[in-house]
This record gives sequence, C-alpha cells and structure tokens, in this order.
Amino acid sequence: MRDSANPEKLVPIDFCSVLNRIGGDTSFLKELLDIYLQEYVGKKQLLEEAIAREDFTQICELGHSFKGASANLSLTRLQKVAYSLETAGRERHLQSAQEAARDLEMEVQTLKAFLAGNPLEKLG
Amino acid sequence: MKILIAEDDLISSKILQKNLETWDYETVLAHNGSAAWKALEDEGLRLAILDWMMPGMDGIEVCRRIRRRKKYKYTYIIIVSVKDRKQDIIAGLSSGADDYMTKPVNFLELRARLKTGERIIDLEDKLLVIQRQLKDIASRDSLTRIWNRTEIDKFLCDELERGHREAKRPTGVVLIDIDHFKKINDIYGHVTGDQALLQVVSRLKKKIRRSDKIGRYGGDEIIVILPNCGQPQIERVGDRLRLAVGKRSIKTDLDTVLVTVSAGCATSELPGTGVADKLIRAADRALLKAKRQGRNCVVVAGQDHMPEQERKNARFS
Repeated sequence: MRDSANPEKLVPIDFCSVLNRIGGDTSFLKELLDIYLQEYVGKKQLLEEAIAREDFTQICELGHSFKGASANLSLTRLQKVAYSLETAGRERHLQSAQEAARDLEMEVQTLKAFLAGNPLEKLG
Repeated sequence: MKILIAEDDLISSKILQKNLETWDYETVLAHNGSAAWKALEDEGLRLAILDWMMPGMDGIEVCRRIRRRKKYKYTYIIIVSVKDRKQDIIAGLSSGADDYMTKPVNFLELRARLKTGERIIDLEDKLLVIQRQLKDIASRDSLTRIWNRTEIDKFLCDELERGHREAKRPTGVVLIDIDHFKKINDIYGHVTGDQALLQVVSRLKKKIRRSDKIGRYGGDEIIVILPNCGQPQIERVGDRLRLAVGKRSIKTDLDTVLVTVSAGCATSELPGTGVADKLIRAADRALLKAKRQGRNCVVVAGQDHMPEQERKNARFS
C-alpha cells in the first residue's frame, strides 16, 4: 500500500528531470536508454567475473560507472543501487557486492518492463 | 566556437554533445585522457570540458599538461566530476582548471559558465594583440618603422652567438650614414629631410635579404646586420647598398634632392670583433674613413681601400 503510494517505486525514471537535461527530445532519450541497456550487458558480465575473483577495485569502478550513467538518465533507483555496489567495492564487502549486483539486475529488468510499455510515446 | 568534450562515459558524452551543439558550439569528442591530449594539439580548441576520471590519463593530468605547455593560446578548462567534496573541488582547481562542476551537470549552469569562459578567452586574445602591438612599438623606430637600436643590438648579439656555435658562419655589419644630411635639413627643412630619410630606408630595404636586419642606429645612421656574410662578400654588399641610394635623386613633396651615403663595413672574421660593440666600433671606424676619403664610398675594416672605379666616382655630395 505504501509502495504504490510512492511514485518513485512505480516509475524507475524521473522523466521531468532527464528531459529537462536533453532539451525535451524523447527520441534522443530512447537512444540513450538503448545505449544504457546495451552497456549493461557487457558490464554485468564484468561484474560477475569481478565478484567471482573478489576484485573489489573492479567492483568499485563498475559501481561508479553505473552510478554515473544512471544519474545522467535520472534512473534514481538504479543510481542508489549502483552507489551501494560502489560502496561495497570500496569497503571490500563481498556479500554486500553480491546483494547490490542482484538488486541491480532486478532494477534493470524493472526498467526494461517499464520501457516495454512505451512510456516515451505517451509522453511524446 | 570549438569545444573539446573529454568523457569516457558514452551517455554523459552524448548528452553534453547534444546540449553544446544546440548552443551552436562545434564539438570534438575524446573518450580517454590520451585522446583528449592529442585532440588539444588543435590550436582552435580553446574550450575544454574534462571528466576527472577517465581510463589511462585522467582529466586532472590532461589539465596539468595543458598548463605546462608553451606557445599555445589559453585554453579555458572546466573539470566535471561526481567528486563533490570540498577537497576534490580544490584539487581540481589546483591542477589549473578554471572551473569545476559536479555531475550530473546542470546544463543551464554549464551554459552560463561557458559564456564566462568565452569572455576570458576574448580578453586573453585582446591582451595578446595589445602586447604584440606594444612590443612592436618598443622595437621599432617611430619615423622609419625599421628596428631601433636596442632591437638591432639584441639581434647582433644573438647572431654573433649563433656564429660562435656554428663554425664558418661570420656576421657582417654595414653602418650607413647619409652624406651631408645636416645640410639637407638646413636647406630644405626637416620635413624634406625626413622624407629623404624614408626614401633612403626604402631603397636600402629593397636590397637586403630576408635574413638581414635593418635598423636606425642614430640620427641619420642606418645599420644593416648580415648573417652569414664574411670579408669576401661584405664590400660588394656595402657597395650595392650605397648605389641603391645614390644612383638617382630623391623626390620629396617640395624638392628633388640628390642623396648619397657612405658605408663602413666590418665582419666578425676580423680579429677582435667577436663581440657586438667591437664589431660595431670597427664598422664605425671604417665609416669615418669613408667620410674622410670623400664620402659616397665604402670602406671595409681590415681592407681599408675602395674599389678603384668607385674611388674615381667618389665625390662630395
């Protein structure tokens, strides 16, 4: 009940903020989101490998990179999860890193499901 | 205006590019520090937005390198970073950046900050133009626009030093004095005298090489510095200059006057003339001899003779 009342939980992207940043160009936003999701595939692979060999520097860097890209697109929840991942890497905490990686994957799937409903066309 | 975006994150880079192009900037993209450093070889790039954290060379290092380089015009640098602590901002600015912005960038703010950058660049350019103009004014004679004595002395010293480094590279000096210049001024007036002097300079300039330097040494004394010119050549050069002036009369606004010159020549091949003041003194003594020999002639220090034909032609003027 509380979740559905929180708009951040329902919409993974702050459209107002991101469109303001790119001059209201929805087709450009779609292009950027496609790049984000494509890049995620490669980075996810790297993250799994880094966790497997407990490479905390790499975990921290990937978390940092996710955080930046998410912030740019106003993907607020993904930005928070990416920050957790970066912190886990910096603090060399394996369990937290694994949890953050799982949360990250979950949030990306939520974003994909959200975008499958063509919210940008409704905006445009 | 052209602007460099050095940013390894593709999305950040694309968003920046889109906004900058909307504001009519021409963008150049680099996705790592080394590529940014390479791109900055383009002197047309006066504005740069550098991401702090990039693979390989980071934005801070690129910034430091830009500030260390010489011969380039000023580049206005904005560092962008997620690092938002006070000490990060201080470190970023201490590397030589003009401005620092935290990510995600607020684009209205960025646009305003870029305008500030353009103003600084504009001021810098105006300052450089004025600096060049002042340097030129300080280096040239106000009437004839040829080099002044200070500049000529400096050039001669440099040339002699170069001659020491490179063997068999003598330096020649021709000191030229307008014959009876005082009389010209007294008879025709100073305006005509000035015009005659300008004509003399103009004729001399046509007869020298690009590598030679001509300057006003005193009232009516003109000096020509000749790099890579030794004893065998200097007399011919001196005589060419003398004839360039005295061959035909000079038309001024009021009168037509016949102006001749005497020339004293010396080269650094002569023993004891390796330093500027001694070389000039030798040329000056030669000039004095030329005057004593009847003017409108050339005397070379260490030779002390005139070509026979010229001796016959020499006359008071």
